[in-house]
Amino acid sequence: MWNPYATLESRQKQALAAVTVVVVLALWSGLSLVVGPNKLPAPWSVVSAFIYLAWDADSGSSVLLEATLRSLSRILVSGMLVVSVGVPLGVLMGAAPRINAALSPLLDPFRSAPVVAVLPILIIWLGIGEASKIAFLFMGAVVYLIPMVRDAVQAVPSTYYISARDLGATPWEAIRHSVVPIAMPRIADAIIVSVSVMWTYITVAEYTSNTPGLGNILQRAQRAFAMDQVFVGLIVIIALALVTYQGMLFLKSKLYPWEIE
Amino acid sequence: MSVSVELKGVIQEYPAPEGEGVIQVVGGLNLSYDKPGINMLLGPSGCGKSTVLRMMGGVRPFGVQTPTRGEVLIDDKPCDGPHDDAVMVFQRYANRPDLTVRQNVSFPFRLKLWKERVQPAERERRVDAILEAVGLADKGSLRPAQLSGGQNQRVALARALVLRPRILLMDEPFGALDAQTRDEMQTLLVQLWEQQQCMIVFVTHDVSEALILGDRVTVLSTRPALVADDFTITEPRPRSASWQRSTEGLRLEERILERLHAAGGHGQVRVSV
Repeated sequence: MWNPYATLESRQKQALAAVTVVVVLALWSGLSLVVGPNKLPAPWSVVSAFIYLAWDADSGSSVLLEATLRSLSRILVSGMLVVSVGVPLGVLMGAAPRINAALSPLLDPFRSAPVVAVLPILIIWLGIGEASKIAFLFMGAVVYLIPMVRDAVQAVPSTYYISARDLGATPWEAIRHSVVPIAMPRIADAIIVSVSVMWTYITVAEYTSNTPGLGNILQRAQRAFAMDQVFVGLIVIIALALVTYQGMLFLKSKLYPWEIE
Repeated sequence: MSVSVELKGVIQEYPAPEGEGVIQVVGGLNLSYDKPGINMLLGPSGCGKSTVLRMMGGVRPFGVQTPTRGEVLIDDKPCDGPHDDAVMVFQRYANRPDLTVRQNVSFPFRLKLWKERVQPAERERRVDAILEAVGLADKGSLRPAQLSGGQNQRVALARALVLRPRILLMDEPFGALDAQTRDEMQTLLVQLWEQQQCMIVFVTHDVSEALILGDRVTVLSTRPALVADDFTITEPRPRSASWQRSTEGLRLEERILERLHAAGGHGQVRVSV
C-alpha cells in the first residue's frame, strides 16, 4: 500500500477510478434528495438538462453546440495571439537580461493583479462584442505565459550556449540553434498551462453579454435558478478543458519525444 | 601546419566570494605552445587550469575580465575571445538531444561562419569521414539519449574535429566516464590525432591520463596557478601498461605527484590504475 514507486496494472487503475466515480455519483444522488433540486440537482436531472440544451426539437438547433463552438473559437483565436506574442517576448526576455530588466516592471505587477477587475475597463475601451472577450482572455493568459517562457529559456544549462559560441556561433545564433531548441519542451508546458488558464477565464469573459458561449449558458441558468443547467455548463467546460489539456500533452510528447533523457 | 599559442604574464583575479578584495587564481603565468602535439595541463582541481584553457581561444568566463592582466597571443596575434581555429570539448558533451548523431556532428555547419567557409558537398564528406573515424558510422540516425556516455563524448569530439581545428582544447573531457570507457577514449584520441595532427591542450587532474597521452606535460600549482613543472615524454604512443610500470613511467609519475604536493594543492589529484 505505502509504496510510492509501485506500479499498478491498467485494469486495476481503471477499476479503482470506476469505484470512485460510482461512489461520487451515489453520494451526489443521495445528497440531492436530501437538500432538494434547488440547491443540488440530481445526476439524472443534469442528464435531462444536458439533453434539453443539446438538442431543441422545435427549432432543430443545439444551444450547447453553438455555445461550445463559440467558446472554442474564442479560446483558439486568443490562444494563437497569446502564443505568437508571449513566446517571442518570453524568449527575448530569457535570452537578454537587459530586455528582461526593461520589461519586468511592465509584467510582474500584472501577475498578481486581479485580471477579472480589468474586464470592465476592456469593455469600456473595446465595446461589449468579441474584441473585449478576446482581449480579456489574451491578457489573462499572456501574463502567465511570458514569465514561464522566460524561465524555460534561462533554465537551459549554460554549456549549450558556451559550446555553440565556441564553435563560432554569433550570440543570436547560439540562442536560436542551441538554447531555444532545448527550451522547447518547457515552453510547450508553459503554453499548455496558459491555455488551461484561458478555460478558467472563459466563463468570466462570456458573463457580460448575450452572445452565445458556455459562460453565457452558465450565467443565464444562474439567473433562472436552473441549477441543473449550471451543472451542465460546468461539466462541459471541465470536459473541454481536460480534452484540450490531454490533447496538447499528447502533441507535446510527439513533438519532443527526446525530452526524457 | 604551424600554430602557436602564447600566454604572457597572465594574471587572473576573481572577486572574493565573501566580503571585499580579490582572489588571485592565476599569477603571472607564462606558457607557450608552438607545434602540433598532445599537451597535458595538469593540476589539482580548482587551480584555475580550466580558466587558463578557456583563454587559449575558447569562450571566456562571463562577468569577469579574462585575463585580468597579461596577454594571450594566437599565431602572434592578440586573442580576446573564441578563436575560429580553436574548438573546445567539454566534460558535459553539449549534444542537442533533439538532433540525431549525424545532425549533431554537422551542427557547426548551421552557423553562418562555417556555412560560408565549407561547401555543402565538402561538409557531407567531412561528416562521413569523422563519423567513421570515431566509430559511429552506423549510429548516425540515433539520438543522444540512445547512446552511452562514451558514445556521446565521441559525438562531441567528432563535432569539434569536423571543423579541422588547428587548436583542440579539451577540458577534462573523459572525467565523467568509467575507467574502461576512459581507456577506450584515450586510445581513440591517439588514433584521431595521428590522422589529424593538431595542437591539443588537454586539461586533466588524472596523472595516469597525462602520462598515457602527453607529448608534453605541464604541471600547475594552485592559488595562484604557476608552472610547477614542464617536461616532454618521448616514449611513442600507444604507451603500454608495462611502460607505465617501467622505471621511466614510475619515475615520471613520482615526479608529477611530488610537484603537485610541493605546490601545496588543497584540491584533489587522482591516480587511476
